[in-house]
Amino acid sequence: MRVLYSWLRDFVDVSDGPAEIGRRLSLRGLALEALEPAPPGDDPPGVAPLPDDAVLDFDVTANRPDCMSVAGIAREVATAYGLPLRLPSASAAGHLRSIDLRGVDSASFSVRIDAPERCTRYVGAAADVRVGPSPAWLQRRLTALGVRPISNVVDITNYVLLELGQPMHAFDHARLDGNAIVVRQAQANEALTTLDGKARTLAADMLVVADATRAAAIGGVMGGADSEVRADSSRIVFESAWFTPQTVRATSKRLGVRSEASMRFERGADPTAQAAAMARACALLEIIGAGRADGTMVDALARPHVPRVITVTHAHIEALLGMPVPPAEVERLLGALGFTLLAGGAAAAWQVTVPGWRPDVVRPEDVIEEVGRHHGFEHLPATFPPVHQAPPPSDPRVARDAKVRKAMLGMGFSEAISFAFIEASAATPFAGGAPLITLANPLSETFAVMRPSVLPGVVDAVSHNRRHGRRDVQLAEIATAFAAGGERRSLAAAWTGAAAGDHWSGARRDVDFFDMKGVVAQACAALGVTPDFAVTEREYLVAGRAAAVTVAGRPAGVVGLLAPVLAEARGIPKGDDVFVLELDLAVLSAAAATAAIRVEPLPRFPAVVRDVSLLVDDSLSASTVRDTIRHAAPITLVSVREFDRYQGRGVPPGKVSVSLRLTFRADDRTLTDDDVAAAMQGILAAVRDGLGAEQR
Amino acid sequence: MSTLDELIALIAEHDTAFAAALAAADGGAPAARESALKALEVGWTGRKAGKIADLMARLPSLPPADRRSFGQLVNALKARVEAALAEREAALAATRRPSNAVDITLPGRAPALGHRHPLSLVREQVQDVFMRLGYQVLEGPEIEDDYHNFEALNMPEEHPARDMQDTLYLAAPLMPSAAVSAAAEAHAPPAGSARRGRRPLAPQPLTLLRTHTSAMQIRHMEQHDPPVRLVAIGPVYRRDNLDLTHTPMFHQCEGLVVGKGITLAHLKGTLLAMAEALFGAGTPVRFRPSFFPYTEPSAEVDVGCIRCGGKGCPVCKHTGWLEILGSGMVHPGVFEAVGYDPAEVTGFAFGMGIERVAMLKWDVGDIRLFYENDLRFLEQFSL
Repeated sequence: MRVLYSWLRDFVDVSDGPAEIGRRLSLRGLALEALEPAPPGDDPPGVAPLPDDAVLDFDVTANRPDCMSVAGIAREVATAYGLPLRLPSASAAGHLRSIDLRGVDSASFSVRIDAPERCTRYVGAAADVRVGPSPAWLQRRLTALGVRPISNVVDITNYVLLELGQPMHAFDHARLDGNAIVVRQAQANEALTTLDGKARTLAADMLVVADATRAAAIGGVMGGADSEVRADSSRIVFESAWFTPQTVRATSKRLGVRSEASMRFERGADPTAQAAAMARACALLEIIGAGRADGTMVDALARPHVPRVITVTHAHIEALLGMPVPPAEVERLLGALGFTLLAGGAAAAWQVTVPGWRPDVVRPEDVIEEVGRHHGFEHLPATFPPVHQAPPPSDPRVARDAKVRKAMLGMGFSEAISFAFIEASAATPFAGGAPLITLANPLSETFAVMRPSVLPGVVDAVSHNRRHGRRDVQLAEIATAFAAGGERRSLAAAWTGAAAGDHWSGARRDVDFFDMKGVVAQACAALGVTPDFAVTEREYLVAGRAAAVTVAGRPAGVVGLLAPVLAEARGIPKGDDVFVLELDLAVLSAAAATAAIRVEPLPRFPAVVRDVSLLVDDSLSASTVRDTIRHAAPITLVSVREFDRYQGRGVPPGKVSVSLRLTFRADDRTLTDDDVAAAMQGILAAVRDGLGAEQR
Repeated sequence: MSTLDELIALIAEHDTAFAAALAAADGGAPAARESALKALEVGWTGRKAGKIADLMARLPSLPPADRRSFGQLVNALKARVEAALAEREAALAATRRPSNAVDITLPGRAPALGHRHPLSLVREQVQDVFMRLGYQVLEGPEIEDDYHNFEALNMPEEHPARDMQDTLYLAAPLMPSAAVSAAAEAHAPPAGSARRGRRPLAPQPLTLLRTHTSAMQIRHMEQHDPPVRLVAIGPVYRRDNLDLTHTPMFHQCEGLVVGKGITLAHLKGTLLAMAEALFGAGTPVRFRPSFFPYTEPSAEVDVGCIRCGGKGCPVCKHTGWLEILGSGMVHPGVFEAVGYDPAEVTGFAFGMGIERVAMLKWDVGDIRLFYENDLRFLEQFSL
């Protein structure tokens, strides 16, 4: 809401300049958005020009329709400065004068409200006018507040709207068929050309102000072109009415029309302000020499406004705010804001009557806010809420994710954070055929669906870095993946380029499947669980370089080489090998929760190590060889691990030489050479008979 | 036959010559110095061909009376030469490295260490300060129902405040299934609780991406009796186009404290502690009255400008203050929604944008940098 400093001073004799007023009101709930120099021009007759006149632009919060007017903001200034507020009245002088209008049942026109639940009050008054331009001072004030001057009669309606916050309208009396004003529901498909020249088709649930035969205005939104005041109009009817916020909001939204009037009715105009606004408009006709009002008004009151009364105790005020506010200060502040207080009943309690312009004040807490904000939040002490019981534990995901994050950082993966919505084409390969969660109103096609996996975002981050000249990229993200079955916390990581970076001591080595497989194992180890791997096929991974990960028998993720066609589709340079992994952290932590931690006693007897090289078919998996050995070995075999693998000279085609290190140990004695020799004999027999393996 | 005087002059010449040779040997690389020093040693103190041995060889040719004096002079010269050479030798030995030494100025072989994302760093700092203050840290679902995101937060369908929230909706609502996270499906108050909120009895279809972490407040209060002391941190979504200060997804930190006698002053102390943890000791905090549907009274909170210390600069638009969050006392309507008695308990709540804090802390001019994951950006942050 824009306000002219000199206009504010019509209502409150504040001596501070505009900048200081803006600063002070910003601490009282009206944030100053901008301060602009006032347009040059005239002031009302008898008003001295202000050298520091300015336009203050306040950001008015949605709950404060009363501050959508100069007088409403002046009330805040008066309260903040402890000064009296001076509103237009019959006894005021000069351009601030209002008049007393006599209420009549009907005048040269009649008023009927057929929709009392949507228009509670309609005040009309007729006047003879000489249409022409407004005086310069009035035009300047409208212009300063962003309203274009049109003609003296129309300008008066806008002036009253800006000054008092009550939207007004003016009809050409001669064009009101039957001299009747009827507030009613629109007929289905009723036609009306509005003031902006647009032909509109109305729906039956819209509210219109009509004459005897047809709609003349859309209630609270915009007037009709047919009945508008023209240069040759000689007699008019002013409208000052109250329409419910819901009616105006719904109609304004459906028609796509927002006006100064609809903005105020939507937020909730003052249902008691119609007569005073009408009186002011009629007085302005005379003040600017635009005509003469009949001196009467038709005040159709369908539903009288019942003021809200709220009981507030002094104890409640201080208990909610946590600072002392003396009772006299409570009374002064609320009184200045227009509340009437009746001290009554119990000690230090008030019956607070809420003024019509404050529809936002409904509960004691709303009243307390008024006291708090004008007493000043700067007086709040800084204290702490007491603790009466031990705090409950945090969501276990917080600590779990932190552990995994640290493990990934320790393995060289930098942390990525990407958008949860992605392109449908980027999501589909990762969805495994499940339906995607699609947004109804995405910002663009690039943000169309919720990611079914966290990998696409990490892949795009790799692509971004590769395209910006980075050769070696290691990124990991812990975030939510979305499916119809629910949300899933996932770790996704990608690694391309060097496994061991360039160093003066030797050649660099590029990342391969086994680097990434090792990362899976370590990420699991961070949570105290062990993964198992099995051959798998995924649309987004290269066949033969892909493994499904299980933890405690449950599917927990994948690891493998990203399919080149997909990598290229996301802008990753051709020929790049991007290894990826994704792990379902809930599966990992579920397994961790059931894994009992009990310390194993340290071995008391030494271990015996035997290395053996076997020549086996190269189609045999390492796990088959290991399993065969374990199966054939006595309980004293504690570990078996490959330490070399060789194909080439001396190894027949189709065969591979695998070297394994076997460690034996007993809990109750030192193993003898005979013990181990017997074990080895059994093992070698088993691999020979079972796998056709020869010892080299 | 040389006279003693001639011989004394000869020794003086030797002294000068040695000094010159020594100065010449002092220049050059260590290896060159080493060989020069070796040559000096041989040329001067060598038993056979050394210059001092040559001088001594002249002794027999002197008259016996002069021999003693000359002998002393030559020995003194010898001592000076040996001392000078020993000194140089010691200096050289200090620079000489053992045969198994390495050049420790070569680059090390660094085990890989990743870099933290700045949003994650802020999140952790916020978590830390609130854990110190005895809060529990919670997370909630990102796809929400209308009830938890809006209605229970005092924003019924027609509420003007919904205009403030530009919401992203799902094309087809999801029915929460048994697989949906426990937080999303639980709608029952804790066993033994007599509370009756106005929430619907059946789970609602999930229709939107949460616009604020406040939805989490409601879910928690539905399931737990007061007191409550929590922070919830996570991504939220609004239909904002990307620009320097907006992204359609961003991160929020929500705080909620509910109990008997909780006041606005408690909120001020708490936020002051957070501001000091995030921006440094002595960071001032300012409350400005504002409006949110779910708090009453409501306040926007500013911290003293961290760039200029409050003197006024372009970052704070010359006000000396930076807005960092919205807050207030929980609206009684919110308590009624979850079945808390507003006559029994009060509470405060606040919501802060993590990106905003990170941008202020590290002078990040473009919010989009947080979502590009450019390593040149991330590598500026450590663990």
